[in-house]
Amino acid sequence: MKFIAHKRSAAVEQWLRKEIAEQKKRYKKIVAEQDALSPKRDKWVAEFLHRIQTRGYHVHFNQMRKIAPEEIPSKPKRKFKVVF
Amino acid sequence: MARPHIEPFVDRDVPFKKMTLPGFPKGMQYKMLSMDTDDGSCTMTVLFEPGYKQPPGMSYTEYELFIMTGSIKIGEKVWGPGSYVFVPAGVALEALSSPRGATGLIFYNYGEPSFVESQSDHPKAERHRLAMVNSYDDMQWSSTNFFPATAPGCLVKILKFDERTQGFTFLYCMTPNFWQDNISYHDCCEEAYHIWGTSWMMQFGDLPTGGYFWRPPYINHGAFASKLGILAIGRTDTQLYNHFHFNPWTNIEENRQRAASRMQHWKPDLYKWINTHGHNHPVDFEHDHGHAHGDMPHHHGDGHVEHKHAKKRRRKR
Repeated sequence: MKFIAHKRSAAVEQWLRKEIAEQKKRYKKIVAEQDALSPKRDKWVAEFLHRIQTRGYHVHFNQMRKIAPEEIPSKPKRKFKVVF
Repeated sequence: MARPHIEPFVDRDVPFKKMTLPGFPKGMQYKMLSMDTDDGSCTMTVLFEPGYKQPPGMSYTEYELFIMTGSIKIGEKVWGPGSYVFVPAGVALEALSSPRGATGLIFYNYGEPSFVESQSDHPKAERHRLAMVNSYDDMQWSSTNFFPATAPGCLVKILKFDERTQGFTFLYCMTPNFWQDNISYHDCCEEAYHIWGTSWMMQFGDLPTGGYFWRPPYINHGAFASKLGILAIGRTDTQLYNHFHFNPWTNIEENRQRAASRMQHWKPDLYKWINTHGHNHPVDFEHDHGHAHGDMPHHHGDGHVEHKHAKKRRRKR
């Protein structure tokens, strides 16, 4: 029994509505901040793709494999989204 | 669970608010980290003001409480930093107080926060599941035991494991100079809060002390690094599997497709059975068919996903 059914009071419903509205604002702010991070992220991705070809990619625990240049994926044309 | 993708969010950037929900005593403050818009379940940073007193009582949902600073008293026992309490729905916890104040995290798992003053358990309460431990003093770090596993230097302490869903709550740490060069995603929701320290992820940048995320399934995260190390608490809602890869640009749909394809290769007989039976309705012989006891809404193969049964009416004689 993880939850016991009960009737919510009007005060609880109102509190939930307010919190959900604030969460929507929080989410929008996060999306904007993450969009602004795009130039830095592109640099981090380029460094990552370089490291996995030189030092290796973590397959499991301390097992690493060097990725061949032909295995490196190319960037698709669509927008690079990180927050969904 | 219907919580949006909240990542990253740093609770140090926002002030505490007074808890005004009916039933809760005065002296509790909170910062909302994430909330399920359907059922009101949520994760909050909480502050118990010095002198806080809560009478014995229960919640309609199970919840988890983790103490970060200060201490609380439950009954006669004092619980300091690192203490973890799991309270099943309907279990009346003894009187809780905090003479000098405390901060912590509280996770309401299946419904909105609720507190009902009561000396005795609800008839449906499962008291045997009540658990309390000081995870700093009484538990030791261990390797993650996942396959494939996180890189060396990431250690865990398992605080709670749900046998049915395999969801779990855990402390985790990264040692100084931790690094892991892969991208991961999971079939489960994952959330975490940084108790101390900063780590970096290729998608989101730095997550400092007070940093939090709630991440729905199939969202890429990683590579990972931490210069000075971190201490954090994490949770999943179901089984965690590390789907590692190195394509930074895949999206949720592609990641889900790959996970399904992997299931087809790992469990071909089960995969075939699920796809060929009209009545797509697996029943676990150890559990009730219905939706009591936290059972999942299920499919009937008729397009009505997330189907729920109405409660059967008893005949009046």
